[in-house]
Amino acid sequence: MLEIEHLVTGYGGVPVLQDVSLTLAAGEIVGLLGANNAGKTTLINSLSGVYAPMSGRILFEGTDVTALTPRARVELGIVQVPEGRLVFPEMSVRENLLLGGINRRARSNRARQMEHVLELFPRMKERLSQNAGTLSGGEQQMLAIGRALMAEARILMLDEPSLGLSPLFVQYIFGIIDKLHAEGLTILLVEQNLNLTLRHAQRCYVLERGRVAIEGPADAIKNDPRTRSAYLGL
Amino acid sequence: MAEFLQALTQGLLIGSTYGLLALGMGLVYGVSGVVNFAHGDFIALGMFMCLALYSALSLDPYVSIIITVPVMMGVGALVYRYLLRPMVGYKFLMIVQLTLGLSLVLQNGILMVFGGQPARTPSAVESKLWILGEVVMRVPHVIAFVVSFAMAIGLYVMLRSTDFGRSIRAVHQNAHAASLMGIDVGRVQTLTFALGIGILAIAAALLLPGTPIQPTMGLRYTVITLLVVVLGGMTNFVGIMLGGLVIGVSEAFGTIYLSDILGMLLPYGIFVLIMLFRPQGLTWGTAR
Amino acid sequence: MRPDFYKILASPVLWGVLILAAPLPFLLPSYYLHIVILSLVYVALASSWNIVGGMAGQISLAHSLFIGIGAMFSTALLLKLGINMWVGLVISAAISAVLAAIIAWIDYRFRLGHLSFVLITLAFAEMGGLVVEGWDFLGGASGLLLPRDTGHFLEFQFGGSHGAFWVMLVLAVVCVLVNVAILNAPLGYYLRTIRDNENAARAIGVNVLRYKVAAMVISAVLASIVGTAYVRYLTFADPYLLISPVITIEIVLFATVGGLGSAFGPALGALLLVPLGEILRGQLGGVLPGLHYFIYGIVVIAVILITPQGLLPLFERLWKRRPKVAATGQPTVAP
Repeated sequence: MLEIEHLVTGYGGVPVLQDVSLTLAAGEIVGLLGANNAGKTTLINSLSGVYAPMSGRILFEGTDVTALTPRARVELGIVQVPEGRLVFPEMSVRENLLLGGINRRARSNRARQMEHVLELFPRMKERLSQNAGTLSGGEQQMLAIGRALMAEARILMLDEPSLGLSPLFVQYIFGIIDKLHAEGLTILLVEQNLNLTLRHAQRCYVLERGRVAIEGPADAIKNDPRTRSAYLGL
Repeated sequence: MAEFLQALTQGLLIGSTYGLLALGMGLVYGVSGVVNFAHGDFIALGMFMCLALYSALSLDPYVSIIITVPVMMGVGALVYRYLLRPMVGYKFLMIVQLTLGLSLVLQNGILMVFGGQPARTPSAVESKLWILGEVVMRVPHVIAFVVSFAMAIGLYVMLRSTDFGRSIRAVHQNAHAASLMGIDVGRVQTLTFALGIGILAIAAALLLPGTPIQPTMGLRYTVITLLVVVLGGMTNFVGIMLGGLVIGVSEAFGTIYLSDILGMLLPYGIFVLIMLFRPQGLTWGTAR
Repeated sequence: MRPDFYKILASPVLWGVLILAAPLPFLLPSYYLHIVILSLVYVALASSWNIVGGMAGQISLAHSLFIGIGAMFSTALLLKLGINMWVGLVISAAISAVLAAIIAWIDYRFRLGHLSFVLITLAFAEMGGLVVEGWDFLGGASGLLLPRDTGHFLEFQFGGSHGAFWVMLVLAVVCVLVNVAILNAPLGYYLRTIRDNENAARAIGVNVLRYKVAAMVISAVLASIVGTAYVRYLTFADPYLLISPVITIEIVLFATVGGLGSAFGPALGALLLVPLGEILRGQLGGVLPGLHYFIYGIVVIAVILITPQGLLPLFERLWKRRPKVAATGQPTVAP
């Protein structure tokens, strides 16, 4: 469904991703691992169209989307749940969700999507008119995911969803991720938490300093000694 | 006492229009961080367009907004797209200098076309008065008051209940997140700027009747709008409208009780006092 | 004081330029000499404002107050009280210094935001203008006419354009050198921290009040002195020129377009834009009212769009592109 071919991206003339290639098949959960500054967020932002690559291609269902604007990518269904949630603090939960579905494709279906999202996250139903900035970290994560789902995502990219959350919430969120996977959603999961990712993803890529150091099925990666060294920079 | 009520009324009437002017500036600042120092010159442009339309087609200013608003909005969109958007991310003061250059262009463009003599644009309601008890109000001021408040309420509703309004607030609160939702941030900024200029076109028609106009009159409105917008905490809706009323009333009191020239001292003075002792301005409730 | 300062002070380029410039009054026709003198005045003024607006990041519109006091007050002292203008210069500079300190204190004490500070200093500037307009001692709205310049240096006379040129050249160089000095002294460093993040500066114990006052006072004293010299050259103390906020707006334009915060940027901006404005006015002023300012405005917009970071960075880049015997290759990429 998604193919990245030899992507080189950076800013200010300095490449952060140096020749990254990966694929995502429909319905998979793929994990993207790596230490801080390995380039994970840059990769996700490149997929969202925030950075124009220096070279390389991104193919979505066979079409070259490398030159598309962020708006066009959301319209295609490439949706990101950003690191740190980035909810709109002075807008209510309801308004945040409405904004999630603001792209042209999703707009016609918003009412039904909202119902679906609120079923998935009943807690949000109680907090509909509350300002997003006053929610707890876990609730904001729920909102961020719900907001992304409102966009009728066909690929959902989550950037560090476990960041700053209590273990209970992490379990809950990853339960939701499993549920979405069961419903057939293609998911790209970026996480620093090695074990968590290996438990939920089917395949993984480990990024080290802007390159794919290791790739393969989750089990293989778990047992690969190189994984630990990639994380510890040895 | 009558004089006091007169000053108060006059101030409130014009203050609502000042608030409206500042809302336009505040919206633009909220989504793009730009403060347009040619703000008042766009008002002057609107007024002179009304003058031209009157001379050519005998249109009353209130009617000619049908033409001036779309034209000015178009101009505004072009100005933002080609002059201001390339500057986003550069030093704030540099962007301000660009708008000052724009101010020179507008002022002197008007001067070249219309000459420097003060001109008046007659309007059907120009000299009508409305008397309420001891207070004499000029009908154009009352119309300005009503329309300004109506538009302010309209803007508020737009911001709260429409998708466009929500995207404006989203871009203001977190532009990066907004772009991840598929919002075209640049387009929102351009449209907001155009909207702001459209508001100025309407305000120009409201302020026009009975006012002699000159190419250099824009500066005064720019300064007043700046005072109001800062008093309002830059992006706080209620704060800005309140700020407009405060400046309007203090200007009225200044000109009636002091002199025309010293009249501006009072708004400045009140501004200084408020900002010194309440640095967040007249903000009330959450920001937009 | 960093060695860079002494390097620039001893730089052959600097002295070469000064030596070459010295005989200009004998070479240029008076119209062009006037433009050069005007440019030097604004180099000095823009550089003085840069200390507060560029280095400290405080956009102050109060500058016209200091220029105006230097110009109007010393003139009034001379005409109305017979006080020698040198003395008047010192008195005006002292008053400007006090006012500057007060404004800086208000900024610090009330933690003014940037736009608030702009508007409050504007309020002060407008009030200054109104005070002059309303007070006969200072000339009221019609201004003051200085006695003819017969060249008595001890009476603060320059002897016409020639002398004025040399005085302004010295003042311009001094103002720029003060900029260089500050940038290479601890003061410059502290001002930069205040500019970048005042709250952080306060938090780490920087004496923000002292440095804000220092910047404002130095800037005001320089502006006041230039104001006194400028009015002597003009021979007529016109309040609309010297104490209205318009002059500050022009100065801020030159400083910003040239390169805010750098030592030579404001000078560059003034040297480019002042002659441009004067020549446009001279050529087109009579053709159609407003035409010269219209074109000037377009040029300003164009310059800013082309060099949004200011002229100085552009010049620096061109300067660096000169063929050099260097061994550096490609910049290394940080891992």
